[in-house]
Amino acid sequence: MLHQILSITFKDLKVLSKDHGGMITLFLMPAMFILVMTNALSGSFSGPSDNPAPLLVVNNDTGELAAEAIADLQTVDGLAIEQTWEGQPLTRELAEGLIGDGDRRVAIIFPADFSDRILARAADSDSPAATVTFLADPAAGAQFLGPVQGAVQGYILRVASYAQAPTQIGAAFDNMAAEAEPQFAPVVKQIGQAFVERLNNGGGLAGSVTDSPVVFEIAAPADFQIEKFPDSAQQNVPGYTLFGVFFIAQVLGISILREKQEGTFRRLLIAPVSRAALLIGKLLPYYLVNLIQVALMFAAGVIVFNMSLGNDPLALVVITLAASAASTGLGLLIAAVGRTPEQIGGLSAMLVITLAAVGGVMVPSYVMPPFMQTASKISPHAWALAGYQDVIVRGLGASAILPEAGALLIFAAAFFGVAVWKFKFE
Amino acid sequence: MTNIVEASKLKKHYGDLQAVKGVDFAIRTGEIFGFLGPNGAGKTTTLSMLSTLLTPTSGTATVAGFDLVKQPGEIKKRIGLVPQELALYPTLSARDNLEFFGSIYGLRGKELTARAQWALELVGLADRAKDAIHTYSGGMKRRINIAAGLLHRPEILFLDEPTVGVDPQSRNNIFENVERLNREGLTILYTTHYMEEAERLCDRVAIVDQGRIIALDTPKALIDSLGGGIIHIGLSGKGDAVAESARALPAVKSIRRIDGKMEIEAHRAQEALVSVLEVANRLDANVTSLEILKPNLETVFLHLTGKTLRD
Repeated sequence: MLHQILSITFKDLKVLSKDHGGMITLFLMPAMFILVMTNALSGSFSGPSDNPAPLLVVNNDTGELAAEAIADLQTVDGLAIEQTWEGQPLTRELAEGLIGDGDRRVAIIFPADFSDRILARAADSDSPAATVTFLADPAAGAQFLGPVQGAVQGYILRVASYAQAPTQIGAAFDNMAAEAEPQFAPVVKQIGQAFVERLNNGGGLAGSVTDSPVVFEIAAPADFQIEKFPDSAQQNVPGYTLFGVFFIAQVLGISILREKQEGTFRRLLIAPVSRAALLIGKLLPYYLVNLIQVALMFAAGVIVFNMSLGNDPLALVVITLAASAASTGLGLLIAAVGRTPEQIGGLSAMLVITLAAVGGVMVPSYVMPPFMQTASKISPHAWALAGYQDVIVRGLGASAILPEAGALLIFAAAFFGVAVWKFKFE
Repeated sequence: MTNIVEASKLKKHYGDLQAVKGVDFAIRTGEIFGFLGPNGAGKTTTLSMLSTLLTPTSGTATVAGFDLVKQPGEIKKRIGLVPQELALYPTLSARDNLEFFGSIYGLRGKELTARAQWALELVGLADRAKDAIHTYSGGMKRRINIAAGLLHRPEILFLDEPTVGVDPQSRNNIFENVERLNREGLTILYTTHYMEEAERLCDRVAIVDQGRIIALDTPKALIDSLGGGIIHIGLSGKGDAVAESARALPAVKSIRRIDGKMEIEAHRAQEALVSVLEVANRLDANVTSLEILKPNLETVFLHLTGKTLRD
């Protein structure tokens, strides 16, 4: 059986090597996409550290809290805080002018009573809230403004929370003392005073309040992306490699259909070859081609774009093996349902391109609206791309990408299962 | 003489379409057995069942002593199929094609190389072995198509319309090879709709039409069954009267009316013709057409079905 599988595999590799159209689809097309798209979109995909988003900050606050929030924002990777313009302190009018002229796209304005209002509201919840104005170019787009706005709001809320905490906690203990038995009231009050004193001195209950994860989590907006963003090569090299990898579905589908139409499949069926050996022999060369595709495209990414492969090459291999299984499974499925080259060509192009688009190959999923991010889970491209980026962008290892690999294997099993069910051995 | 193939009430239905309507036949070891019939008669479907590609709807068959349904694996090792279509990889060379198909049957190494070379020489294309199949003429492709079915030394070779669309040179090569392989002991099942091929090559012929075997014998016996030949006479009027009188003529075997014409099956064609024309003359019937059909398998088919092999 192994001998027959290898015979079919070598034969198909020979046939494929002479199929110029197939070679262009599988190798030249993804290579050209990688080359063109990585260069064309290098500015758009640059990570926050490489190309931080400028944020104009106008601080009119007479207190200290706005300055604390600004100091925190200056530590955010991906934001470049600007409080002056050409040596002059920023004013609202100046910021509006810069945005109107297109020099900058976003600014925040702290009002004069920012600190006063926050502190007053700690003691009296009915007092008016502080208002921070968020000035933005309407044309800037949500994919730029969303993360910036999230970061700004998060850090401001955190500073406000810290500022209000001593007053609110002190008031809470005073209320508890007032409601306690007379003999316990002084003790409750003393505990409250000690607690507030410790907070005011920056001591906290167990070290620093600023280290408190709970306070930080509450202050951080959910849509604020703390994780690292891929740069252009880290997005486009694995993305368009996957694009090419899944195009094996078209080449494989047409290859099987051609065998059926030309009668060679019939000839194989009357030979003493099991159906399993026939299918494995037919799929194995395309699986191997997938592995070669990934190796070549990633090598190009490293050589041409200086792309890092992360810390764990084994993790890349795991994702590649799983993604290739899904792509060859999809190819078999397309071959099982397609009856003509036109059907297979149309169906495979529609599926592969749609799944690639939904899966974040063409537009990164993190800039998609939430429902599209959810929808991307139906695409094997999304899982494979997430797996690759976990490794090459975030430096994670093989154990971290097992969920993605598992999802891809589920896709592969589903594709193979339906394909074998629908496949006609005649 | 033993039978290498035995089929009994073999049927194949596709829904309401009855492609093969219950055929009974046996192929003797060492003979060339022909399936002669027009396109769509059920020849290829029967061949596909015998080669295990299709499961019969009902009926039984054995090939080389193995049951078609229960032991397809054993049958596959012992048969060679040359399908009607050119079942080759056009971008690969002839040698690559043959070595691949040989390897599928378990041949390897020097044996594989030697068998591929033998097959190339058999079909006279050893000098083109390295050329890609798509550079070959139609006839050359047919010859390689046959070679690919012989690599594993099958006990019986199924040839499905092997000469469709080939040039005379390749046709002769194919005929010579079929005869040579048969002389060397290979049993061959040969399907065709060319009566001259069946007459030349086949020891016995089954005439197939609309999923049934309507006659089965040696070509000579089938032709002899027609007697002296077939005469078609067109008459304008009085056809029934002429036919009635002519039936009594000693040279006439039988008469029937087909599409307004009179078909005369004759013991002796020339004598029958003269006699029937005399009757027509006597009855004052006008002869509008006259055709004497040479006795052959085509005529047999026409006589049995009322249509030609190419209809």
